[in-house]
Amino acid sequence: MNNSYDPRVKRLTLKDANISLREGEHWNIFEVFRQDKRGARHVHVGALHAPDPVLALIFAKEQYGRRKDCFNLWVVCSADILAFNDEDSDVFANNREKNYRDASGFKVRDKIEEFRKKSGNIKK
Amino acid sequence: MKSTNHIKDLITKMADDELILGHRNSEWTGLGPILEEDIAFSSMAQDKIGHALALYEILHEQFDEKDPDHYAFLRNEKEYKCCHLVEFPIGEYDFSLMRHFLFDYAEMIRYETLANSSFEPFRLLSKKVKGELKYHTLHAEEWIKQLGNATDESHARMQQELNHCFPLAAGIFEPAKEFESQLMDEKIYPGEKKLYELWLDKIYSVVTQASLNLPDIGKVQPVFGGREGYHTEYLQLLLDEMSEVYKLDPGANW
Amino acid sequence: MYGGGYIFDEPDRRQRTEEYEHDIPEKLAEFEARIEGGEKIEPDDWMPSEYRRQLIRLIEQHANSEIIGALPEGTWITRAPGFRRKMVLIAKVQDEIGHGQLLYNAAETLGKSREAMINDLLSGKTKYSNVFNYPAETWADVTVIGFLIDAAAIINQVANSRGSYGPYCRALERICYEESFHLKQGHEAFVGLAAGTPMQRRMLQDALNRWWQPIMHFFGPPDTISAHTEKLMQWKVKMASNDDMRDHFLNDYVPKVWELGLTLPDPNLKKNGETGRWEYSDPDWDLFFKVIKGDGPCNKERLAVRSWAEEHGRWVRQALMSSKYRRHAPVA
Ligand SMILES: [Fe+2]
Ligand SMILES: [Fe+2]
Ligand SMILES: [Fe+2]
Repeated sequence: MNNSYDPRVKRLTLKDANISLREGEHWNIFEVFRQDKRGARHVHVGALHAPDPVLALIFAKEQYGRRKDCFNLWVVCSADILAFNDEDSDVFANNREKNYRDASGFKVRDKIEEFRKKSGNIKK
Repeated sequence: MKSTNHIKDLITKMADDELILGHRNSEWTGLGPILEEDIAFSSMAQDKIGHALALYEILHEQFDEKDPDHYAFLRNEKEYKCCHLVEFPIGEYDFSLMRHFLFDYAEMIRYETLANSSFEPFRLLSKKVKGELKYHTLHAEEWIKQLGNATDESHARMQQELNHCFPLAAGIFEPAKEFESQLMDEKIYPGEKKLYELWLDKIYSVVTQASLNLPDIGKVQPVFGGREGYHTEYLQLLLDEMSEVYKLDPGANW
Repeated sequence: MYGGGYIFDEPDRRQRTEEYEHDIPEKLAEFEARIEGGEKIEPDDWMPSEYRRQLIRLIEQHANSEIIGALPEGTWITRAPGFRRKMVLIAKVQDEIGHGQLLYNAAETLGKSREAMINDLLSGKTKYSNVFNYPAETWADVTVIGFLIDAAAIINQVANSRGSYGPYCRALERICYEESFHLKQGHEAFVGLAAGTPMQRRMLQDALNRWWQPIMHFFGPPDTISAHTEKLMQWKVKMASNDDMRDHFLNDYVPKVWELGLTLPDPNLKKNGETGRWEYSDPDWDLFFKVIKGDGPCNKERLAVRSWAEEHGRWVRQALMSSKYRRHAPVA
């Protein structure tokens, strides 16, 4: 069947497609985090298949670091990522109300002005 | 005027190795054992072709040779100085990986020593490719170690390809008959014999960690001839393929 | 590259579109409201089973198109003329493999493994873009693919990147960035031939003539015969109609071919000044369906080559299959 136009294909011994892959044959899945420059934070950029973390990192270098500035990468097995279910995101629901935890929740200037008005003659 | 044939010979053989192996390895693009490795191997093939180009540019700019495209794609087979190792078709991945491992360690060592060359373009190139070669050897080393230590089948395959490739890889270090001592005297590079020893040291340690055995070095017959222009039957076919389109009209802009 | 506007139906499933009715009505309302509001759907979100099925089909066929599409071009790497073309072409084909990698990941978040997707590709159960069932006979074909097929694919992919499924959109964001390089390199190589020697122009014209029909097929059959996309449009799975994308393509790229003094083999091809839409002879849709079914010039070879890669890579993969195997789909 190999009457290909393509020299590289002509060099292969081809058969009709009949292979069936087994689950797991394409290895574990790793998440990849990329650091664009030294000092920057690592950002999640995608995933890849690899047999172990070392090859995962080696693969990540080309699949996620072959363009633009890159300083370092992290890889971590997807199965090791622990996260909330999306529907549980209401555990964060009242964050914005709890402004006593936030600089924006403190308005001391008003109080000072009021105090200064009341006491009249304090020098600046 | 002082002859520069010795440097030109050295650059040509280094460049031709990179050009031919870069082409061979690029044939895996789209055919690799898994997509992630396909991408990595393809990048390294690109790097090799890039190294070849950089070397042909030195020939062109410093020694008035033809421009890189012309020089790379239009010489006669006899004028190519690549070693036999790089000429063979890609075969199976065990062969291609073993060739990659043996060649890229040799390449890394060669370029490392060129950091101290008396020939400035070599020093610059050595600096420029350092990171690329580090990645290539890291990649190669990890694969060889993992496959050497994995299953009986993968171990047997790697051992068999090591035995098969080793004499061919030793052929990388074929000394340049007329030029070797001049190149060494002028401190352009340390000479093939020295490189061979450095290379053996490096690969020995990886091979051992991969639970593989180097063949008996004393008994190995290195496959020489490439540096003198004598090649395997595969080179001419590949050269025809590489230049098939370019040759239709070398004067045209492609 | 190759979004391939047309999502191929599995032959026996043409009628199975209303499955989502079996899903939970309140959840469905919430889901649809979310999409309506421009939010993305994420892997762990509730989604109608029909949405999941359609997305898997869309993304996996897109992924298949990338790795099969890498074959006709990949085979020209060794023959590409000169250093610049060679290096550009390897980088480009490498990107296409990378796109396949990213897209299979996105599909895996929906619950189908990469192995299963590759099995379905090799058995012919799932398809890939029909254009790759044609051979790249000369170097000029490579420039036509790199310019016009990538251009067509970009129109499709940019549309899809505004779709509703988060992981697919994120993959497409990166893919579209790389595609802009593909388009530029393709245009450069194409113009190189067009502005070159008479022989180069002849090569190019010849390739254009051969590729025009597959290009017209690229976005799939006309809207009149490829109905049942309303729900998919509402769910932002399908983002533009076949005819709209084709028109967009013709409008952007026919002038770029004509400005080089090249011709396209369709005497009826012109822009209607009144409607603003392009008119053309109806492509041979019977041929299109015939090629999808496996009867194109290269279907067999493409699958045989992909299967060669899987088969000859198998010992490598099996050697490193870990006893600590813990598969978990990509998290996002
Ligand atoms: Fe290398
Ligand atoms: Fe792509
Ligand atoms: Fe592309």
